Amino acid sequence: METSILARRQVLRGMLAGSAVSVGLPILDCVLNENGNAFAATGKAIPERFATWFWGCGLGEGNWVPKAAGADYELPEQLSALKPFQKRMLLFSGSNIMLDGANNNTHTTGAMGITQGDVNKQFKASIDTIIGDHIGRGTRFRSIEVGCAGDPGATWSVREGQGRQPAEISPIKLYTRIFGPEYVDPNAGEFKPDPQVMVRHSVLSGVKDERDALNAKLGAADRAKLDNYFTSLRSLEQKLEIQLQKPDPLEACTKPAAMEGVDKGALTLATEAMARAGLFAQLLAHTLACGQTRVVNLALTQGISPLRREGESTNHHAYTHEEAIDPVLGYQVKVKWFHDQYMQALHDYLVTMDSIKEGDKSMLDRMLVFAFTDHGAPRLHSVRNYPLMFFGTANGRLKTGMHVPRPGDTTVRIGFTAQQAMGLPVSAWGEGSNRVTSPISEVLA
Amino acid sequence: MDFRTTGFRVRAGLLAAAVVLPASGAMAAQTYGYVVSSLSTATWNDYNANCPQNINGHGLDVRRRDLIAIGLTPAEADKIVKGGDEESVPKDIAGRLIMRAMVNGKPASYYSAPEAVPNPPMIETVVGPQAFGFDLGGKATDSKFTDPDTGAKVDNQLWRAVGCSENFRFIPPSLPFTEEISWAVTIDTAPAWMLSITGEDLAKDGPVTVTFERATQHLERDANGNIMTHATYMIDPKGRSHNVLKGEIKNGFLTIATTDKFYLQSEMPFFPEIELNKAQLRFQVMPDGKLFGYWGGYTDWKRYAYMLTSRPGSGADVLGLYHALKRFADAAPDPKTGQNTQISMTFRMEAVPAFHMTLDSKVMASPAADASAVSAMMRKTPEARPKGGEEPPRLKTN
Amino acid sequence: MYQSTTKSFRRALCVAAGLLPIAFSSAYAAENLGGDPSALSLRLSPAQYRQTIADIFGTNIVIDGRFEPEVREQGLLAIGARWANVSDTGMDRYDELARGIAAQVVSPKNRGTLISCKPKSETGADDACARAFISGYGRLLYRRTLSEQEVATRVKLAADATATTKDFYIGLSSVLSDMLISPNFLFRYRTVETDPTKPNEKRLDSYSKAAALSYFLWNSTPDDQLIKASEKGELQTAEGLRRQVDRMISSPAMESGIRAFFADMLHFSDFQTVAKDTTFFPRYTTKINDLAQEQTLRTIVDHVRANKDYRDLITTRSTYLTRSLAALYGVPLADTTDNGEPDRFISYTYPEGDPRAGILAQVSFIALNSHSARTSPTLRGKALRENLLCQTVPPPPGNVDFSAVENTSNQVLKTGRDRLLAHSASPACAGCHKITDPIGLALENFDAAGGFRTSENGAQIDTSGVLNSVKFKGVSDLLPLIRNDPALVSCVSRKIYAFGTGKMPPRASERGSEEWAAIEKKFGQDGYKVLNLMRQIALSDMFYAVSPVEVAAAK
Repeated sequence: METSILARRQVLRGMLAGSAVSVGLPILDCVLNENGNAFAATGKAIPERFATWFWGCGLGEGNWVPKAAGADYELPEQLSALKPFQKRMLLFSGSNIMLDGANNNTHTTGAMGITQGDVNKQFKASIDTIIGDHIGRGTRFRSIEVGCAGDPGATWSVREGQGRQPAEISPIKLYTRIFGPEYVDPNAGEFKPDPQVMVRHSVLSGVKDERDALNAKLGAADRAKLDNYFTSLRSLEQKLEIQLQKPDPLEACTKPAAMEGVDKGALTLATEAMARAGLFAQLLAHTLACGQTRVVNLALTQGISPLRREGESTNHHAYTHEEAIDPVLGYQVKVKWFHDQYMQALHDYLVTMDSIKEGDKSMLDRMLVFAFTDHGAPRLHSVRNYPLMFFGTANGRLKTGMHVPRPGDTTVRIGFTAQQAMGLPVSAWGEGSNRVTSPISEVLA
Repeated sequence: MDFRTTGFRVRAGLLAAAVVLPASGAMAAQTYGYVVSSLSTATWNDYNANCPQNINGHGLDVRRRDLIAIGLTPAEADKIVKGGDEESVPKDIAGRLIMRAMVNGKPASYYSAPEAVPNPPMIETVVGPQAFGFDLGGKATDSKFTDPDTGAKVDNQLWRAVGCSENFRFIPPSLPFTEEISWAVTIDTAPAWMLSITGEDLAKDGPVTVTFERATQHLERDANGNIMTHATYMIDPKGRSHNVLKGEIKNGFLTIATTDKFYLQSEMPFFPEIELNKAQLRFQVMPDGKLFGYWGGYTDWKRYAYMLTSRPGSGADVLGLYHALKRFADAAPDPKTGQNTQISMTFRMEAVPAFHMTLDSKVMASPAADASAVSAMMRKTPEARPKGGEEPPRLKTN
Repeated sequence: MYQSTTKSFRRALCVAAGLLPIAFSSAYAAENLGGDPSALSLRLSPAQYRQTIADIFGTNIVIDGRFEPEVREQGLLAIGARWANVSDTGMDRYDELARGIAAQVVSPKNRGTLISCKPKSETGADDACARAFISGYGRLLYRRTLSEQEVATRVKLAADATATTKDFYIGLSSVLSDMLISPNFLFRYRTVETDPTKPNEKRLDSYSKAAALSYFLWNSTPDDQLIKASEKGELQTAEGLRRQVDRMISSPAMESGIRAFFADMLHFSDFQTVAKDTTFFPRYTTKINDLAQEQTLRTIVDHVRANKDYRDLITTRSTYLTRSLAALYGVPLADTTDNGEPDRFISYTYPEGDPRAGILAQVSFIALNSHSARTSPTLRGKALRENLLCQTVPPPPGNVDFSAVENTSNQVLKTGRDRLLAHSASPACAGCHKITDPIGLALENFDAAGGFRTSENGAQIDTSGVLNSVKFKGVSDLLPLIRNDPALVSCVSRKIYAFGTGKMPPRASERGSEEWAAIEKKFGQDGYKVLNLMRQIALSDMFYAVSPVEVAAAK
């Protein structure tokens, strides 16, 4: 069965902000076990999934923080787009990235702290790859990264020592990569390993055989580089191994109808980037539902958001520096327009994930979406009072519907809590003042 | 049916044509260059005042009338027009519709012999008071319009003939349907027209010379699909479209008083050539630097009718238009028959700043440095628009 | 008024004043990279990869796909190549590229010309033919003769693959694609051997020398002649090396080396995220990003190949334009091409005294270092300082409350200068602003897309300033000052050396600094001819010097 994402024309024009998409048939209750968390026939657990959702330049100023803590808080206007998901959200406020004397390299340091737990060393493993190593083994792609404003360097996903993972910026290219000729439908009745894949897998031994000879002539630093290369080669090998095995059926999986054409590269209009985010959200939802990966990372913008409102010459990032804070409203009015767009895009992303039904719950209910940004108050480019959110329950391990103020705490604890919620056996994370050894226990179920 | 390609008409920002250094090698005094970016029959669609009967209808109405004219009953015609029942359509209907003329007792195509169609349709023509144009010296004062811009009594019988027809019911920047199609498709291949304005100081009133040329290149488009400003066009040395017109700037207009013949050669279906006799022209500059104006004069009505009838599918009653043009032709009577061979008309033109060069690399004209350089002909108000609304009411097809 | 003038506070003020993104680049800033700076292996750049494939298999092989982002370090991707590695996703990408290329090489259309032998049967293995294919292309791809074991392994893999698929050519394409993802292809390694003339010393082996030379001068893989010369040991003699270097410098392939270096130095890789607002800049059509780079590279290639003084690129009135570039700049261009022919580059000379002379006034500098709809004097000043003068602009600011400098009256500041001055009144700000602003503001006559203007929002633009204690009225006075700045030539020579080696040349008192000083001196005596400088570097000892790390590894 195929599900149409958008007509080709609409893709080319990139004008539609995609929201809900009907995807396949819900898994019938009888297919699931009594607890609804595993497929009855195979006994296999419904896969864990983790997603990050990044936007640039923060939120605020401080007036996005709800007045009350705990459940039943009043959602501030700044977050009103997320109202439909308030009961399924954990909203964290007040936490800081500790600089320990390091320079605040704006748009970099804070996000490094949030994703890597370390403000000093770039290219340490990021939270999504740490979680992916735990839940994502055995899928065709260890993770998928996308950048909606057209910068392949927008993503924060880092595999230790390898540099940032390049983000896909074209929905059409992403479609081909995932659902192109190499895609194996997990629900197809018959499975025959592709001889071409078998050949590709076996010839990799040619490269593997070169390792020793190369190692013998290299210094320590180049040997370390080579080790990283071979780690990546091993990932490729594993990907091929997975393609040679019959995939477990995934009832919620449908293949989206083909997309063709050419996408624009870099975008500067917020409306166009939001439309692209809508397409990406749908592709990522299908990708997760079809078991092609368990970790997806979406960067709506790069940290320095280049997006503009139609007809205006100043972009979002420049406005954060230049616009005065409205003394009555207490925030930057033009900047808030961008926040509203971004929060709406987040809402649409959640709707898309929620539209995939697995038993009595949706994919969103079971997964964990971690939404984060590079700064607290945008005008200050501060690394304090970060607006961060979790959506979903991480397969029932998280309580939701609360505002959780963490004034003075390190933001790293939120990422650490996410790791524990995803079932990782970790007891500490972070460096220096950002090192934490305990999660925010009140949100763990 | 509405094929207006308004997508091409995104308005350029004011910055677009703002600044250019004076180019070296420019001619004496000041010579500012432009390239014609839009040309069409000038429309003035004050629809309620122009066509109170509102009877001409559009494509399907015309088809229904044509079917009845060749002998079908109204019920049969309705059935065919409604469509969906292909079986009921007589096989030879297309041929019969075309072969409506009778030449030497034999059926002939009405495209080639529109004169020879018995009982040609009479379409509604314009009775409203206003239209763009010039006083070309036409005698019949009761047939004159008042120009919305100048307030002058003007001759524009072509508009009277065509202005109630579906394919002319467009308001700038949209062009009449047939012309829009022709223009939009062919400007990317057909050589462009250029014009330059030379004067001592275009910030002041005074005498000027306007020179028209044809380029060796087609129009260049910008990132929005509009015509690129500040592009360079090479002057076609063959010179068939070379027109040097003397005029003056006064009262905010650049006007060219009567010139015997104004001729431009082209390669476009609707505009294979422009030929205006006793031509008059006037121009203004819009605040964004675009030149805007009207060209009026007498033109061969049969040639114009041919341009209309040779483009079937325009949704208009081309046979009715032919006979209306013939009826309103108002100049150059044929000595034998007395039938006028020419009709008064007006083109609306837009042109954007451009460089003009000769093939041996001499810069003949450059864009004006900014709006103040041409302030004497700067238009202070938006382009005049009819009050009757932009979307005229349409007939409903049964 | 301000309680603090700490370093971070000063930085904060600078950002408030519009010293916007510093780490603004799609290439990663390599500061604090996880990698070890003593790594010497260089990952092929996308341009090198493309050029190499074109040189080996021909230009009709389509390379369709995305490359892993490059790493920029000390202003150059060529230096960042030492840090660049292959990520998981990047491995996928290389694998896709490799399979695409391999499939084309063995395709029925190309196999007749690209594969020198025919198999006995297309459905069965043919070890002899496979061996010829693997050892022939392996030598070009790995830039050295393959070992017998390397060949034998792949002959067997090809035979196995053919057995599985019943297709000889799939066997070949699978081992070719395997070689194309090999570190021996994707990375340039240096191999060290004992110097037979000085048995206690190590030197770079001939193959490594050949690869260093060809990627430096041609931005591509060694050709057959160069590999043969290295096989014969000619590159280890002064005479043999000189012969090859002279041959290479006079080759047409030299153009791709010149282009690659200047594209790297001028940060053209950043064009992939450049998009201009067509509401404000309708003449910035989709092809301008490519045309702008091409304009500058043609200007430079012409200049360099004509052995002109490098400094004159800053003021040269000669360039190349297409019709659409000319319209963007607002200059007349005589294009006598027949109607309907594609846009082409035509040589163009600005009139004497025209402020648009020189590569800094070109779209590739002006528009690249602007925002999508407005200029940034700061970005332009920074780019000129860092990219062309090798000076350092302080990093972006710390986490400081901007409310101290916030102008709450919300006044409308018409020009870029107004906006910057509004913030730089404080002495604490002046430090940053002095570095970037005089240059950036002098370029304010160029709008964010490269067009020329004399006013902004109706106000006259003031382009005057002071640089190195010399007053200037505008860009026409400023460019000669930049042209004569000694940093200009020292910067380009250092970066050219780094482009070839992945390392900046030694600073005074470091090992090799004397030889470098001599090279720089000669560059000046020669009249700053870039080709002569490249030749000197290619013939120098320091270009091939082995590091202690390599010596240690070789033992």
